[in-house]
Amino acid sequence: MDPSEVEFLAEKELVKIVPNFSLDKIYLIGGDLGPFNPGLPVDVPLWLALNFKQRQKCRIIPPDWMDVEKLEEIRELEKREEAFTPVPSPYYMELTKLLLNHASDNIPKADEIRTLVKDIWDTRIAKLRLSADSFISQQEAHAKLDNLTLLEINTIREFLLNSLNCMFKLRSNLQAGSSGRTFTDY
Amino acid sequence: MDAQSYHPVSPGVGTEENFLSLDDILLSHQRHPVRTECAFPRLGFLDRSSDSEDLPEGTKMELPLWLSKGLYERKRRVLSVELPKVYKEGWRTVFTADPNVVNLHKMGPYYYGLGSQMLHFDSPENPDIAQTLLQTFIGRFRRVMDSSQNAYNEDTSTLVERLDCLEKALFRSGQSGLNGFQSWEKGRASQLTASSLVINYRKRKMADVQA
Amino acid sequence: MSEAAFDDSEINQEDDSQEDVMTPAELIAKLEEAWLNEKFSPELQENKSEVVECVMEQLTHMESNLQRVKKGDTKASIHRMEVDRIRFVLTSYLRSRLQKIEKFFPHVLEREKSRADGEPSLLSPEEFAFAKEYYDNTEAYLKAVALKRMPPNLQSIDMLKAVPEPCLDSFVFLRVKEKQENILIEPETDDQREYVVDLEEGSQHLMRYRTIAPLISNGAVKLI
Repeated sequence: MDPSEVEFLAEKELVKIVPNFSLDKIYLIGGDLGPFNPGLPVDVPLWLALNFKQRQKCRIIPPDWMDVEKLEEIRELEKREEAFTPVPSPYYMELTKLLLNHASDNIPKADEIRTLVKDIWDTRIAKLRLSADSFISQQEAHAKLDNLTLLEINTIREFLLNSLNCMFKLRSNLQAGSSGRTFTDY
Repeated sequence: MDAQSYHPVSPGVGTEENFLSLDDILLSHQRHPVRTECAFPRLGFLDRSSDSEDLPEGTKMELPLWLSKGLYERKRRVLSVELPKVYKEGWRTVFTADPNVVNLHKMGPYYYGLGSQMLHFDSPENPDIAQTLLQTFIGRFRRVMDSSQNAYNEDTSTLVERLDCLEKALFRSGQSGLNGFQSWEKGRASQLTASSLVINYRKRKMADVQA
Repeated sequence: MSEAAFDDSEINQEDDSQEDVMTPAELIAKLEEAWLNEKFSPELQENKSEVVECVMEQLTHMESNLQRVKKGDTKASIHRMEVDRIRFVLTSYLRSRLQKIEKFFPHVLEREKSRADGEPSLLSPEEFAFAKEYYDNTEAYLKAVALKRMPPNLQSIDMLKAVPEPCLDSFVFLRVKEKQENILIEPETDDQREYVVDLEEGSQHLMRYRTIAPLISNGAVKLI
């Protein structure tokens, strides 16, 4: 899957905005939004929030977790724990990127937040590689991967799944070597 | 975005071969030493060093895999197949000691593919060969993964020059995961990439209208 | 713009699985799930024609309403963005199915041939026509470029053998929607033993597609 498709999914996450205009309730296919009143916070999907923001029709309120202190805590926990710790949002990386790129003026300490989230990401990706290696070397048949996000899985998906396929076929050689197999004939 | 219209058929890996896979076709052209155990009438042309019409018993020569597989019979000993040296016991010991030191491109480049194919020919060593192939793959996995996932925007030729063809393909899939993420992060793939497909769709529709 | 035009918040859905009423939001969620399942599964999934048709209906309905609205209307532009997003998922879903049909066409057709009466078809009628045409074109092409120049006994080709089958032993990533107990995990090596796992709701796993394939079609797990 392409990262931009994961981002597309992330754009469905709800964020709070403070609009500077009024508009009645909108009945979208995916659910109702609004009504919008100047100065009154309202939840909208990120794709719409970014659109409003680009047209200077709103201010985006960053999610609670997009905060230096909270992220520092998460980062420390992630470094301390061996397993993947729960993430503040299943799309934490995508939300950070989109909000910081398009609404950094609404997010206090944007640069620090970017660095912190990247640190958390790097720590988690390093763990992911460790687990991939042990999954292969132990020849495991099942792994529990709670708290791993779609974007994280995506970075290693093709490589890991292809490798597992190769390994599976090389392992089936072990049976083939002994029994009398026939050639494939076309 | 994955909008390719052509998807090459991947190699079969293991004892299977994929008929339409270019890698497997190249693999089937790999030559290996054989010895005839009976006379093959009218096949003298296979041995380039002689000009007799028949291929006599006891001829030693190299044959491509597709041909040796075709001539070989499990029930009747008509052809004996010698293992390429990289699958023999001496090399198997090397692989067991440290699979990472071997230059599989030089020793292959179809180390896993040809090794798996050799299992078609009866041999008491087959279980050991199969085991070595598997353990070598597992032993080298970490290095292939790390190099493919860390090398961003750099010349990768030194990283892949010691890899077998199969590992190289894996390396490439690791790289495509990494590159996809990096260019997304840099914003190159951002902003409504989604709509590029919609645009293409409209273009197609326009073309239909104009046609 | 008249609000009533967008106010049909429920559509009726006659489904064998007793789902009597589905909201459009649920419908879209179903489409997205089908999209991801299709993208991540090694073999072609059952077709979701009824979902596709309902989504198409929603889109056509919305688009015809939008045509009546004057340009520059804020609400209409938001509706258009949503329609574009849904259309993207829909086309990407259909495209990923076509890609799989191209990749596995002889096997897809074979499965369709051996399907028992009353068993739901894997392919929609349009997909079936596409698969057949793809088969015929491939065969005609191979004949034209190579096979007809071969000796007569080598002029046929067994597509089922020539085109690789989907590998059901591939691993997949999945998230559990409904708790499942006692899923049997087959051993990978001779010195391992089989064991069972419980799949807790909300948990995520990496395991063989073959083990959990039935759980995808009944919606107990989804691929991620």
